Amino acid sequence: MTAVERPAPPPVRTHKEDRRWVGKSIRKVEDPKFLRGRGGYVADLVRPGTLHAAVLRSPMPHARILSIETAAAEAAPGVHLVVTGAQAAELTGPLPDFGPDPTKHTWRCLAVDKVRYVGEGVAVVVADDRYLAEDALQLIEVEYDPLPPVTDPEAALRPGAALLHEALESNCAYDRQFTFGDVARDFAEADVVVRDRLRWHRSGGQPLETVGAIADFDPATEKLTVHTNSLSFTSYMFMAAGALGIPMNKFDVHQVPAGGSFGSKLFVTKPTVIAGMCSRILGRPVVYLEDRVDNMSNCDHHGSDRVYDVELAVMRDGTLRSITIDTIDDYGAYIQFGVGHHGNALAQVTGPYTIGSVQYRVRAALTNKNQQGAYRGFGSEVNNWMLEQVVDKAARELGMDAAEIRRRNFIPPEAFPYFIPSGNVYDSGDYATVLEKALELGEYDRWRAEQARLREEGRYIGIGLISAQERSVFSATEFWFWFDEPNAPVTSSPESVTLGVDATGTITATLYSCAFWGNSPETMVAQLVAEEFDCDPHSVSIIYHGLSGGLPATGPGGSRTTVMLAGAVEGASAKIKAKARRAAAHLMEVDPEDLEWAEGGFQVRGVPDQRKGLDEIAAMLHMFKHSFPEDLESGLEESKVYDHPYTTMPAPDRSDLGVFYPFMGNACHVPVVEVDVATGEVRILAYAAVHDCGTLVNPRSLAGHIVGGTAQGIGTALYEEFVYDDEGQLVTSSFLDYSIPTAMEVPELRIGHVETPSPYTPHGIKGGGEGGRMMAPAALNAAVNDALAPLGVRVTELPMTPDRLRAAIREAGAAPGRG
Amino acid sequence: MKPPPFTYSVPTTVADAVALLVEHAEEEPRVLAGGQSLVPLMNFRLAQPGHLVDLRRVTGLDTLRLDGDHLVVGAMVRQATAERSPEVALAAPLLAEALGHVAHPPVRHSGTVVGSIAHADPAAELPAVALALDAEMTVVGPQGERRIPAGEFFLGPFTTALAPEEILTEVRLPRFPGGHAFVEFARTHGNFAVVGVAALVAVEDGRVSRAAVAASGVAPTPVRLAAAEEALVGMTGDDTAVEAAVDAATAGLDPAGDVHASAATRTDIARVCLREGIGRALRRAEDRR
Ligand SMILES: Cc1cc2nc3c(=O)[nH]c(=O)nc-3n(C[C@H](O)[C@H](O)[C@H](O)COP(=O)(O)OP(=O)(O)OC[C@H]3O[C@@H](n4cnc5c(N)ncnc54)[C@H](O)[C@@H]3O)c2cc1C
Repeated sequence: MTAVERPAPPPVRTHKEDRRWVGKSIRKVEDPKFLRGRGGYVADLVRPGTLHAAVLRSPMPHARILSIETAAAEAAPGVHLVVTGAQAAELTGPLPDFGPDPTKHTWRCLAVDKVRYVGEGVAVVVADDRYLAEDALQLIEVEYDPLPPVTDPEAALRPGAALLHEALESNCAYDRQFTFGDVARDFAEADVVVRDRLRWHRSGGQPLETVGAIADFDPATEKLTVHTNSLSFTSYMFMAAGALGIPMNKFDVHQVPAGGSFGSKLFVTKPTVIAGMCSRILGRPVVYLEDRVDNMSNCDHHGSDRVYDVELAVMRDGTLRSITIDTIDDYGAYIQFGVGHHGNALAQVTGPYTIGSVQYRVRAALTNKNQQGAYRGFGSEVNNWMLEQVVDKAARELGMDAAEIRRRNFIPPEAFPYFIPSGNVYDSGDYATVLEKALELGEYDRWRAEQARLREEGRYIGIGLISAQERSVFSATEFWFWFDEPNAPVTSSPESVTLGVDATGTITATLYSCAFWGNSPETMVAQLVAEEFDCDPHSVSIIYHGLSGGLPATGPGGSRTTVMLAGAVEGASAKIKAKARRAAAHLMEVDPEDLEWAEGGFQVRGVPDQRKGLDEIAAMLHMFKHSFPEDLESGLEESKVYDHPYTTMPAPDRSDLGVFYPFMGNACHVPVVEVDVATGEVRILAYAAVHDCGTLVNPRSLAGHIVGGTAQGIGTALYEEFVYDDEGQLVTSSFLDYSIPTAMEVPELRIGHVETPSPYTPHGIKGGGEGGRMMAPAALNAAVNDALAPLGVRVTELPMTPDRLRAAIREAGAAPGRG
Repeated sequence: MKPPPFTYSVPTTVADAVALLVEHAEEEPRVLAGGQSLVPLMNFRLAQPGHLVDLRRVTGLDTLRLDGDHLVVGAMVRQATAERSPEVALAAPLLAEALGHVAHPPVRHSGTVVGSIAHADPAAELPAVALALDAEMTVVGPQGERRIPAGEFFLGPFTTALAPEEILTEVRLPRFPGGHAFVEFARTHGNFAVVGVAALVAVEDGRVSRAAVAASGVAPTPVRLAAAEEALVGMTGDDTAVEAAVDAATAGLDPAGDVHASAATRTDIARVCLREGIGRALRRAEDRR
């Protein structure tokens, strides 16, 4: 192994200590509009006269389309347009695909020639309203020639399996093994090798408002204007324009609150392309807003679906040496994000531990299912679960306590910045402190005693304890370092903010990304601006700028936005202050260097009554430009395009992937569960979660993230699953069958925070948007296994449904206990 | 998820409602009560009635009254009304207990007791309650009124002895003097149950004098578990007797598996619900005396 040469990290920052607003719990500035029903979701924006599109979904998992007869639908009342997949392929290009060989698994807005999953769009009808559109869908006759359904990822890879994409000549879209460090040596020297086989089934983010777009093509200007709840903004909209074949300067897109995304609205180009295509043909506004079945079966955003074979090399004293991971991921019918989900996993593949080497093999299987997209964690949550499962198994085999094995392997606080074997850096951390705080908050010792007492009564209590990473602020290299070609340079994934101080001194911040997706960008920006300018965050006004004329903005994803917005606010504020300083100095006839910023204005250093407030300076700059030197322009408005602060290139041979997810949070979850061994039901008795995502901006909204993410993690662990049967039918296509936890299933959480600032970000902030879901599945699995240990049952498959638990308990020959 | 076209009428008498069903017979008409099952089915286009006869304005269908030893529940009595009714608490506490498990409060404010029975979902609570209580269905059709015992009413999943032009105007629930219990197992709160058990037990002189046990979710219709009832009658109602009744009941079960529970798990869960249901009904019967 040659030592990897790495560029030096960025300079270490010193953070302001006496913060006034950053770190303070404030009411979210977005709440009033949402609580009053004035959020302005897609459905709220549909005006009279807008036409409605509905998509004919394939009832077949895998079939050739022999013919489509649309005449009756075209003649149906209120119908304006019917477009088949073949026609759409003439009008639009393929949808964006970051997988290898995109031309060999072409993905389009509607299926052409062949359907590849139940729910895939075959044709679209545009009518006066959605009722008439759906009536017409019933009149379309499609003749299918069924092909064998491919539903099992391992079977999909075997020779002879029916092919999803003939051009690919295989159902394996990607297969590569990476080796980081000296795995062979570490395994040879290990005392014990712990092996595990694990299965994580697919679920997905469940939004309140589904994905939608309202497209309005103006034939006079040839301009297409779209309102959509896509998360991805200016930096990525060229993809939709490209698929539509519309020049970028004739394409404008306006933000709509996500209405629930959890990742599942990342990119969403399909609705924009469908609505845009139809509006361009008709010259009228067209809305395509998925209904619930469209969303569940055809949203392109199912979550990970993995089989793992893992080996962990361990020393008898509990030292974790090396890990080999072999995973098959069931991507469904297409692979829009490539295997970026495994980039996420590799960002924190060794967790909080000093594991010295890693072998990682990933195979992407294509099957007759809706394709994977993004879901809170983006695949790293699955790695967290796998790692914690196998570490727990090691602890059991060594007879060690769950906390002890972790303590023994934590990266110590003095070791940061710490490069893990895959090449990513962890900027800072204090894992032992997080763990100790969680044990205390979760009353670990008391519950252990309680567990023993209740076991005497025949009850099965389990305590889970996991420590896991929460990477934040992605760099897009994770989408392409998989391929030797093409060799792109590092991507900056920028985010922008414009700050304007008007003539009265009030501040308006302009944002360029998605309007609202749960992370409260307005609250974050208001607090950060208030911190800079000593004003009340609730006095800061926030507006959104659409695509046309908008500054670069990547949008949320990979828990990046708060850090990126903080950088942009910091940069724009610095520019405003520089100009205001010069203006104030000129007005007071002093040297700019003699001024200091204090209490919302500039004052002569040490002379507080010789000052100009920001309002006075702004008024002068707006109204009386001629009082100032030639090069000071009227007004007080500045923008900052903030680029990713720390990302580096992968090694050419990919023995090191470079820095791509540097700001590393950590959390420890301690749930206590009771398993009813007679029914297989899991009840959560208590739940403690301690998170460290650097400097807190708003503890109140972060707590909301932790609760929401943990609720979704509970869903993943116990309830939620997109089940495709052996025939390829999606049997959970509505909330009747897709079980999802309600407020009744989610316990009150005890939440604790540790703050280990990042040395490289404004204020030391790290992202915290995906936290709960990155820990809860692992934590609950650990708790259930702890509860069932006396029966010799260890669960290795999520979700842990009553059916799966009962099957495992029956197999272990345990007596049906209760009563 | 929008329904296909249909026409709609709002009659004010039962006779008119029946006449409308006859008049529109060609269009596969349906009666609309609370709409909490029918409207979703129409939205999914799984039901495509050409005409709806809304019972909302039909006079007399919202009665909820005691008639001697019977509780009479009219076709338009909302589930939430019955749940809170003192008459129901007195005469049919089993119904009140079961209603607490039906969906969520907003659904219960629209959904009707009788509509749920007419809908005959094999996983639903109220058909099992009707069966356990030996309810009588009052049905009005073109030929006039007839009564159908609950035991002859449920024919299959979503299929009953009602003819297409007939309306279920009321359900008559005889009072059961003794203890009751409704126990179910659901994946999440308020969702349809995997298995539900309605149990009624009367105790005289320390021995079970009468028992009625019905279950949902274990067969294409709600089922009476006669074997469990026979096993209980004459016994003291101790744990052994309960266990024997549970064994007897489950021996005859052959449930189908689905996405929520395989046949084996469904039987496991039925055991738990039966044990709990019979146990609780017994305790209440003993407390009553
Ligand atoms: C989110 C949700 C959760 C639910 N969970 C549950 C649950 O846990 N358990 C449960 O049992 N139910 C559940 N339901 C269904 C609910 O209880 C329904 O209200 C009930 O099944 C039907 O009553 P309804 O008055 O709404 O009938 P409708 O929906 O109006 O009608 C249902 C069917 O019965 C027929 N019908 C109704 N009344 C009559 C009559 N008087 N004569 C002849 N035919 C008639 C209709 O024609 C139709 O075919 C749920 C519903 C929802 C939306």
